[in-house]
Amino acid sequence: MDQSEIDALLAGGSKSVSQSVADPIPPAESQEPHRDPSGHVIAELDTVTAVTERESNKVMDQLDQICRLVTRQQELITGMMAHAGSQDPGVQQAIHEVASAGKEIQDKVFEAMDLMQFQDITRQKLERILNHLRQIHDYIVDLLGTGTKSEGKRASISNTIAQTGTTPDENKAHADAVIEAFKSKNKG
Amino acid sequence: MKILIVDDSSTMRRIIINTLSRIGYTDVVEGENGKSGLERLGQGGVEMIITDWNMPEMDGLEFVKVVRGQNPGIPILMVTTNAAKEDIVEALQAGVNNYVVKPFTPDTLKEKIESLLG
Repeated sequence: MDQSEIDALLAGGSKSVSQSVADPIPPAESQEPHRDPSGHVIAELDTVTAVTERESNKVMDQLDQICRLVTRQQELITGMMAHAGSQDPGVQQAIHEVASAGKEIQDKVFEAMDLMQFQDITRQKLERILNHLRQIHDYIVDLLGTGTKSEGKRASISNTIAQTGTTPDENKAHADAVIEAFKSKNKG
Repeated sequence: MKILIVDDSSTMRRIIINTLSRIGYTDVVEGENGKSGLERLGQGGVEMIITDWNMPEMDGLEFVKVVRGQNPGIPILMVTTNAAKEDIVEALQAGVNNYVVKPFTPDTLKEKIESLLG
């Protein structure tokens, strides 16, 4: 989150941090009727996920750029190998080592790109938490008989994200077993 | 081969596109939910679909059901965070050919794509 977004968030009423430090007087906004704390938290978390996705894409841009640079380096190395002066065994050895190091860099960059899946998984976990918050909010509204209910569950929310891990292919064997069992059952 | 990727996360679409390009598939079109996926599909030429489940407007399950009503033969791979057995079975019943749970490795995506195309 950059400074302009922090400013916008603060201007929008999210003053809990600054006030808890500097101002013990309850904020004026708390006396406004029909403030929806659930909606406020939801909006904040939506902002967090949007900003995280945007920043993740910036990281992906940088990783793409590194990949392009390594590809360019490999092309230059291939060009060097065609030169008559590069036929010396020592030079050939050095060129191969540089090319191999370039390949290692590229592999590590690809691994880093794959690890960026955490952003989508974390976003969905946040949405799951939001769903719980909505349910609690609506329950309290029902219990007290006052207040406004939340908008309801959003289409993109998973019910089962809690079982999702963060290690690649953690659930592969389980999913494959379910697929096999389903296919066998349908064959028979 | 033209592959349609449907996922509301632009980061995830990029990851899948990168993985596909590493295993030789570079002809890719994108949709950010089921609705836009159907629009892309309507433009023609798509030979395989990789779709997420949890998306706004039209989720992956609904998308798969609509696609299967129009095109029973197109291979569909679901790539999602939903790992529960009942979710996997529901997706297969809806018409998904194979299923990958996020986070995945490039080898898994490759294996699943090859099994669908093989």
